[in-house]
Order: sequence, then structure tokens, then C-alpha cells
Amino acid sequence: MTTLDDLMKLPGAMAAFEFRGSGEMLEHRIAHADRINESTLDLLAHMCAANLSIATMQARGWEKVTGMVGFYPVQQFTLIGFDWSVVVSGLQREQYKQAGKFSLPPFMGVVLANESADYEAAFAVLERKEPVQ
Amino acid sequence: MSIVTDLLAKPGVVAAGEYAYRGDRFSYRGALSENHARMASIMCRATTMSVNMEASMVEALQPLSGLLPARGWLVHGPEYTVCVVANVFCLLENSKGSINDLVGFMRHALANIPSDMI
Repeated sequence: MTTLDDLMKLPGAMAAFEFRGSGEMLEHRIAHADRINESTLDLLAHMCAANLSIATMQARGWEKVTGMVGFYPVQQFTLIGFDWSVVVSGLQREQYKQAGKFSLPPFMGVVLANESADYEAAFAVLERKEPVQ
Repeated sequence: MSIVTDLLAKPGVVAAGEYAYRGDRFSYRGALSENHARMASIMCRATTMSVNMEASMVEALQPLSGLLPARGWLVHGPEYTVCVVANVFCLLENSKGSINDLVGFMRHALANIPSDMI
């Protein structure tokens, strides 16, 4: 399973975190505490949980209304800030749901400096498929 | 050329458009009906307003954190990605285009757009 340390190896990684669907932050790593501190990361986790839920609702509604498929389930939500971006995903939870598991892994997120951000690499790490335990 | 025309010429972009922050108009080009483009612009505008509110909250908590002003957001689905920077949106077919290239282009092209959302 993808770990916070895997995410911290991404180009420009400033922080990585795990959080519940409610937004509560669990584990985290911070590389630049002068830019991102624990309180900010906690607020980011809550923001990202809300944004993922809204994006999922919109993707579901969009597919039903338009007949265009390929938006749902949302794999990642990314907020692009002025200097940095945050990418979050709950995709690994889908694998557990499909395997009939009730205990799901947390959501994961990574903060990337915009100058060196590789969004596709971040998506690939967050989408990595591992055997369901 | 407008940025919407430029975006539509990028590999994998199936539709692109612009919306007014105040919500009274939008324009688009690409493979969407007028009604669906209106719905897309409304959803994109709502999310943009929301992430800007969130960035302001982070800024209040940690001044000069580097999040504000928020530049945009992405929703990455299994086949399509919604890319929004400032008041411009586009739909990208993942297998035919590069998200990194598209975000880089949009951030560069829209770097001087005022962030006061008027």
C-alpha cells in the first residue's frame, strides 16, 4: 500500500497526510514547517474531505444527467494554490470496498510545490494497486 | 486566439469554456450541448468560489502559507479530468492528453488574470 513516505519522494513534496472521511487528520509528514504546519495540514485535510465529497456528488450527477461516463468514481481532487498544490485521493478505499471489506484504509494527500509538481506522478502513486489485506 | 480556442487545440481536450465569477454568463466550445455546458460552468464556478473561500481560511490561520490566491483545481476521474484555472474550465480525456502540460499551459496563460473574482 502507498505510504506517506512514498508520497514524500514525489518531486516538490512539502507534506503528506492521511485523513478520515470526516476530515480528521491521522498521520502526517512535513518537510517545510515554515510553509505548512500541523494546524494548516489539519485544516487542509478537512477541506479536502469536503471537496472530494462534493466532487463525487457532482461527478455522479453529471454522469446521470449527461450520459457521459468516466468521471466517477473521482480518483483524485487537486487544489492548485499560488505556490503549492494539494492532491488527495480515496481510491485505495474503493479496492477494499469492492473486496467486501468493512475496515477501509484512510484517504491520502500530498502537498507539492507548484514549480516542480508532477500531478500525473502523484496520481500514479495514489492509484497504485496493492493486494487487499 | 482566445484561451478557449487554444485549449481546444490541445491533445485530449474535448470541451473548454469561461464563466463570469458573478454567474450571469458563460461561453464554451467543444463536444457539449448548451445545457450541459451551462451545468458544467455552474459547477465549476461553485467549486472555484468554494476553494477560494477555503484558501482564505488557510491564509487567516497561517499568513503567507502560499495557498492564497488559489489558482484552480482538478477533478481526476477514470477517463476524464476537469481542469479549472481562474474562470476557465476544460474537460480532458485522460488517455489522449497530459494533465501536467494542460495545467502548466493554463497557469502560464492565466497568470496575470486578476484574482479578485469580479
